[in-house]
Amino acid sequence: MPAGSREVVLRALAHEPTERIPIDFGGTSVTGIHASVVAALRDYYGLEKRPVKVHEPYQMLAIIEDDLQRAMGIDVESVFARKTMFGFLPEHWKPWRFNGLEVLVPGQFNTTTDENGDTLIYPQGDTSAAPSGRMPKGGFFFDAIIRQQPIDEDKLNPEDNLEEFAPIADEDVARIADLARAARATGRAVIGTFGGTALGDIALVPAPGLKNPKGIRDVAEWYMSTHSRRDYIHYVFSHQCDIALSNLEKIHHAVGDLVDAVFTCGTDFGTQKSTFCSLAVFRELYFPYYKRVNDWIHRNTTWKIFKHSCGSVERFIDSFIECGFDILNPVQCSAAGMDPRHLKERYGDRIVFWGGGVDTQKVLPFGTREEVRRQVLERCETFALNGGFVFNTIHNIQAQTPVRNIVAMIDAVHEFSGAAALSGKA
Amino acid sequence: MSDGSQLYDAILNGDNVRAGAIARELLDGGEDPLALVTRHMVPAMDEVGRRFECEEYFVPELLLAARAMKAALQHIRPLLAAGGVEPAGRVVIGTVKGDLHEIGKNLVSAMLEGGGFEVTDLGADVSPERFIEAAGAKKADIVCLSALLTVTMPAMKTTIDAFRNAGIRERVKILIGGAPVTQQYAEEIGADGYGENASTAVALARRMLNPVHA
Repeated sequence: MPAGSREVVLRALAHEPTERIPIDFGGTSVTGIHASVVAALRDYYGLEKRPVKVHEPYQMLAIIEDDLQRAMGIDVESVFARKTMFGFLPEHWKPWRFNGLEVLVPGQFNTTTDENGDTLIYPQGDTSAAPSGRMPKGGFFFDAIIRQQPIDEDKLNPEDNLEEFAPIADEDVARIADLARAARATGRAVIGTFGGTALGDIALVPAPGLKNPKGIRDVAEWYMSTHSRRDYIHYVFSHQCDIALSNLEKIHHAVGDLVDAVFTCGTDFGTQKSTFCSLAVFRELYFPYYKRVNDWIHRNTTWKIFKHSCGSVERFIDSFIECGFDILNPVQCSAAGMDPRHLKERYGDRIVFWGGGVDTQKVLPFGTREEVRRQVLERCETFALNGGFVFNTIHNIQAQTPVRNIVAMIDAVHEFSGAAALSGKA
Repeated sequence: MSDGSQLYDAILNGDNVRAGAIARELLDGGEDPLALVTRHMVPAMDEVGRRFECEEYFVPELLLAARAMKAALQHIRPLLAAGGVEPAGRVVIGTVKGDLHEIGKNLVSAMLEGGGFEVTDLGADVSPERFIEAAGAKKADIVCLSALLTVTMPAMKTTIDAFRNAGIRERVKILIGGAPVTQQYAEEIGADGYGENASTAVALARRMLNPVHA
């Protein structure tokens, strides 16, 4: 582990200059690495040969264990609490093969193969329920299977969209506390993902962890509902926040400041060119609930709050800041209006950019090593000035990304940090 | 008694129940189905596209309008077919092999239908063979390929290559779109065009079939 990992991250989060750039991979489910790439990186760095553990089966992200964290110089540790997207705990590991790779998956990761060769996965591991996720034959991760029951407008009940939000069990709180203690002991900064605070995250709307989801579960239907059933959505968000705040209070009581940051919401508001709704709708439908949760966290904890939103969200950043988010991820610089220099200049002293380090749609998967290095150095130069930057790619590193490019990326961050340390500039 | 402008409004406002009811009422009252499409529905979807382009409308409004348009079309389409009315063009559309994401593709599909095209939607995770088979069976003028993922984008090239290898590449225009896709990528893999969003896809499709007047 690099010396003073946690301190470097905390200084970056406090917008103070750092002697080197802190790095996250694996801290959250949006800053991770696909299992196949984690395995390839282990090989590249000559680490002990053993199957990687898929702790996030939806996107097939693997745990980046301590030896690989050290090899890459990672400064952030995760606390993934409670259950996976498919409603089971990441424990009781068992072997599983896909695309010729042997990995370890949770004991309740139960799958079948359909007539097309697609892999189907089941909520809570229950193969007597309808499958809730599908990985196409030869694919790399799962997508939710939409299980929308017919909608009778007169009988729609927003309580049905609250089934997945429940008071946290004491054993889950205890588990989070254990994980947080272990994470803190690594000396890295700790980011927690406790669940229950994401407002209408489209990956969660189909409820792949529930056996028989009711309410609005179809993705398009949900998007339309944000316009046509506004009261219903307000009800869901409002009651979801009530439950979340009660849970956060219990979690905070158990972990206190063992956790440095918390990933609360991954709802995407940006497309490549625009936003999913107007700023006015954002402020009416989402802002009040974000503010309520964020205000509680800031009043009662020392946690910094991490917001993930892909796409072109520049016009929302002032509102993100105003409602209390401290950190923005993944900083999709290729999207409209997301020019790194503009973002840093306009917002860099008020929000931390956790991401944006390299493009994962083109440069990292398809570029040359030199193109990767050049973009990483440029991004570090732009984002790291006066702190406020944690290096991460723009979203998870995807399957089939060449390891040589990932190594070029990591080396470039260290190259920048080394040069900056020598010049006293970072 | 409803009139065509109310159908236009119902689509523009994304009211599928009203759009379907008005279309039915107008048809029962003797309105010409093709005139409903060309005078009211295509202009409504053009206006939806315009509002989307200038960011008065966003994805939810686009989805609602598309659904309203489909509700009206389900009454109109059988009459058009029975009357032998030719569509603006025939399109086969799908998300490429290995990719399960459909929202963007569904929007393009709906906007093309709203633009007067006959659209055969093959869904998601569509193999090159299924695209080729459907393009032949439906006598498609245009094949639209969608991908959301960086890792499935190469399946667009595989699909285009399959059309070439089957000797039918020149019979169809192949258009591509999706989050990681760019004009440059379209050129690299030999596609005929790239649509940045559902609205521009309609203009692109029209231009493909009528290059002089577009």
